[in-house]
Amino acid sequence: MSNEMSEEMKRFIGLSAVLTGFSKSILAPGIDPVDIKSDYLPFFRKKLAEEFKDSDLFDTLLSTFSDLSAKGLTDTQIGQQLLNNDNGDFVTACRKLIFMWYSGAWPTIISARDGQPESTVSTLISAKSYTQGLVWQVMQSHPMGSSNYRYGYWAKVPPELSAYTGHDNQTQGAKQ
Amino acid sequence: MNVPPLSCSHRFTITAALATVIYLAGCSADEKPEQVHSPQTGEAAASIQLSPHLPLEITVTKTPPTLESLQHDFDVFSWQSFIALNWPAKPDGSPDTDRTIGDGKGGPVVWQQWKESRDLFLPDGRKPPDWNQPNQLPDVCRHLEPSSAPANRMELTQVGKTPNLLDESEEPFQTGPLIDQNGQYTRYAILTNETMFNYVLDNELYSKKGQKAFDQDADFPSSNPKENKTGSIMLKAAWIKMGGQYDPDDFHTREALVYNNPDEQPGVEPACSLEQVGLVGFHIAHKTEDEPQWVWSTFEHVANAPTKDRDRKREAYNFFDPDCKDCDINEPPARPWNPGTPHSQPTQVERVTPITREAQALNKRFHAALEAAAPGSVWTNYELVSTQWPTDADSKTDPTGAPAPSFLANTTLETYIQGHTPQGSSNCMGCHGNAADTNGRASDFTYLLQRAR
Repeated sequence: MSNEMSEEMKRFIGLSAVLTGFSKSILAPGIDPVDIKSDYLPFFRKKLAEEFKDSDLFDTLLSTFSDLSAKGLTDTQIGQQLLNNDNGDFVTACRKLIFMWYSGAWPTIISARDGQPESTVSTLISAKSYTQGLVWQVMQSHPMGSSNYRYGYWAKVPPELSAYTGHDNQTQGAKQ
Repeated sequence: MNVPPLSCSHRFTITAALATVIYLAGCSADEKPEQVHSPQTGEAAASIQLSPHLPLEITVTKTPPTLESLQHDFDVFSWQSFIALNWPAKPDGSPDTDRTIGDGKGGPVVWQQWKESRDLFLPDGRKPPDWNQPNQLPDVCRHLEPSSAPANRMELTQVGKTPNLLDESEEPFQTGPLIDQNGQYTRYAILTNETMFNYVLDNELYSKKGQKAFDQDADFPSSNPKENKTGSIMLKAAWIKMGGQYDPDDFHTREALVYNNPDEQPGVEPACSLEQVGLVGFHIAHKTEDEPQWVWSTFEHVANAPTKDRDRKREAYNFFDPDCKDCDINEPPARPWNPGTPHSQPTQVERVTPITREAQALNKRFHAALEAAAPGSVWTNYELVSTQWPTDADSKTDPTGAPAPSFLANTTLETYIQGHTPQGSSNCMGCHGNAADTNGRASDFTYLLQRAR
């Protein structure tokens, strides 16, 4: 596999970086032995087609993101426009993408009924996705039951959050 | 699990994104089969030079490098290391440059004169003898003189040293013993090179008392090619007794004292015998300047075990019986474990993660070079499984350096923890990154310091 990503993957990572607030270099490192992105992209496309009965939704998401990027907008502006889309499915798909990256799981929304409020259930995509959830990075911690830290790490101050997110500072509006 | 619904968010910060994340539920491990790609490296067509000189750093052959090209470069480093370490040795332990690897003249190879862990961590924590001093033997082994070895197995007398001692019959991390097709326990040894040995010696890390006085994280010396300095190297070797189903001509063999160590398991009676043993598994861990997480190479005998869900290439294996249809696969033997048992049920072993096509191609190239250098070389019966290396050695958030591949196992050394389960399956750096000394100080990717008394 070459380090060079396909155009589709580049747009998928660009979209994911804007929505998650993580740097593209964290979501898709140049040398990427885990390569969770290659699991997520086809999984995300398949799920969108199945759940929304819309085989074009995935491509619409990417093309919308590309169009906004081409306008020179900041990440914050791009994100705002993505989630202000008039298409409800489009917005839900964005939110599911965020959920997938952060938790390594796929969310299913259960509509309110019989007096019960709307709720979400989630299913882990794989053992690998569990350890790759961005939520652990934001916590400056590690997945339960899986740690790469050295013995005694708990007694030391963790690295700065920016080391985990890949941003030099936490100004999320900065262009990547 | 029912949880609150996804919240709507119109800001794109970490916090906002986090707000969309609810809880995790369930776990379905669904690993994809390993993808195979062809490396595109400029080195591909170059001929292989067999050298007695240990490589001190990886040679990067492609710019910009890719995951695949770097894996290839690290695998070449592994093979070069394997050849240098298995080069015929002179009596002082240095490589005999007048000979070539596998030249059929016998005798010890370079690493066989390194120190075993029991030579470094003595039972009472006293200072071990210097590098060039003879090793200590258990009392029960003292009556066995090297000269008692058959005349055609003269390694011991040529070296003029106390014979090597195999005193471990369980795989690393106490996952259990491995029983060969003769019903005998596989034996293990952990060895260090002189640099690593002297670091322990000089800093008095061979005892609990010394480690307490040291009171800092261990930091073993690294190899440095600019200074032509060989850093710390640690080996793990797996051996089986020759005879029965095992033809010594198919293995790298040596004479060794095989010791049943009562400290390993309750009920083990001390016993010692001089045996001809054959090499079946070999780990090399080498700390280099650019890889402070060490480089982890692993080799096996080609006939160890078939690969799961693949066509079998052989009629017989070292650790697999094709005729046993109801044998449990990769299951440790039932307790009690006692290497003194005359015969135990053989372990049925399969390789869980296939050797990649690229590694297989590299193995063929090195086998061809070994055969050309010494026709009939026994070393063509050994193959590289893979090399684990840090893809981001300077990572601030992952002290293991984001290893590639994420998992790596040798069927003779990590038989029962093969696979791709995070924190459960064998991952050299991930596991060794947790190593600490007897005071809880990080011990630089080696568990050896925990053996101090």
